[in-house]
Amino acid sequence: MIPCTHFIPAYSELFTFLDHEGGDAAVLDFWNYLSDNYLDNLRELATTQGLLGCWQYWQQTLNEEAADFTMTVDEEAGEFRITMHRCPSKSRLLECPDIIPYPHYCSHCDTLYRRVLEPLGFHYQIDLSRCDEAACEVVVRTKPSI
Amino acid sequence: MTRLSIQRTAADNPYLHKDFHGALSTGIDYLQRIYGDDAVRRYLRQFARTFYAPLTRDLNVRGLAAMRAHLEAIYAVEGVEISLTGTEDELVLAVPYCPAVRHLRAKHYPVAALFVETTRTVYAAICEDTPFTAELLEYDAETGRARVRFSRRSA
Repeated sequence: MIPCTHFIPAYSELFTFLDHEGGDAAVLDFWNYLSDNYLDNLRELATTQGLLGCWQYWQQTLNEEAADFTMTVDEEAGEFRITMHRCPSKSRLLECPDIIPYPHYCSHCDTLYRRVLEPLGFHYQIDLSRCDEAACEVVVRTKPSI
Repeated sequence: MTRLSIQRTAADNPYLHKDFHGALSTGIDYLQRIYGDDAVRRYLRQFARTFYAPLTRDLNVRGLAAMRAHLEAIYAVEGVEISLTGTEDELVLAVPYCPAVRHLRAKHYPVAALFVETTRTVYAAICEDTPFTAELLEYDAETGRARVRFSRRSA
C-alpha cells in the first residue's frame, strides 16, 4: 500500500517513467488525461459558483495538503489568487534524498488547472519562476465581458 | 459580492490528502491502458526501488523489524488497524481493508484494475537485494483486504 502521504514522490516518479517511455509528449498526454478525468469536482464548483468555486476547491485541498499559503477571492474585482509560500508537494520532493524530482514537475499545475478553467471562460495564470524554492502564484480571473 | 482571505502555514493542518489515492489510481489505470500491464509493474517497481531505498537498506541491517516498523507507520497514518504476526524469519501482515480502496469506493472514484500492484509489486520491490521476499497470500479487489507474507529466502 502506498499511503497518501507518499503519493507525491510516486507522482513525480510517474512523470519520470512516462518521460522515459515517450518524452515530454507522453507526460503532457497524461496530464491532459488527468485533467479531463480527475478534476470533475473543480469543474463543477467553478461552473456553478465561479471564483467562489475555485476558493472552495483549493481551500479543501490546500488545507489537507498542509500548505503554507495565502488565498484571496474578490468577486467584485473578478480575481482569485493563491500565493504559495511553500508548496507541500514540491518541498517534499526537494527534501527527499532518494528521489530526483521530475524536472518539470511544477508544470503539471499549469496544464491540469488551465485545461479545466479556461474552457469555462476564466483566465488562468501561474507564475512558476520560483518553483525551485517551492513557491508559486496562481491567479484566476473572470474575463471581462465584451 | 464576496471578498475572502485566508492564510495558513504548514503547521496549521495535518498532512493527509486522501484524494491523492484517486490520482494514483487514475495514473495506474492510464498506464495500463496506454502502455500495458507490464508498464504498471515496471513503474511501481521503479518508484519502490527509489523512494523506499532507505527501507531496503534497513531490511538488510535490522531484518523484518524494519518492515514491521514501516507497516505500522503507514497504516497508522491512514487510520487502519493491522495485524502483524511472525518471527525473525517471517512476518505476516493482515489488512482488514485497504484505506486507499475504501476512499476510492466512498468517493465513487474508479479503482484501477491493477491497483493490487501497489501492494504486490511495491512490497516485492522493497525486498529485492535483501534476504527476504514478499508474497501476496490473499487480496480482495472490492475492499483491498489483504494478507502478505514477508519471509527469509530459502538458501
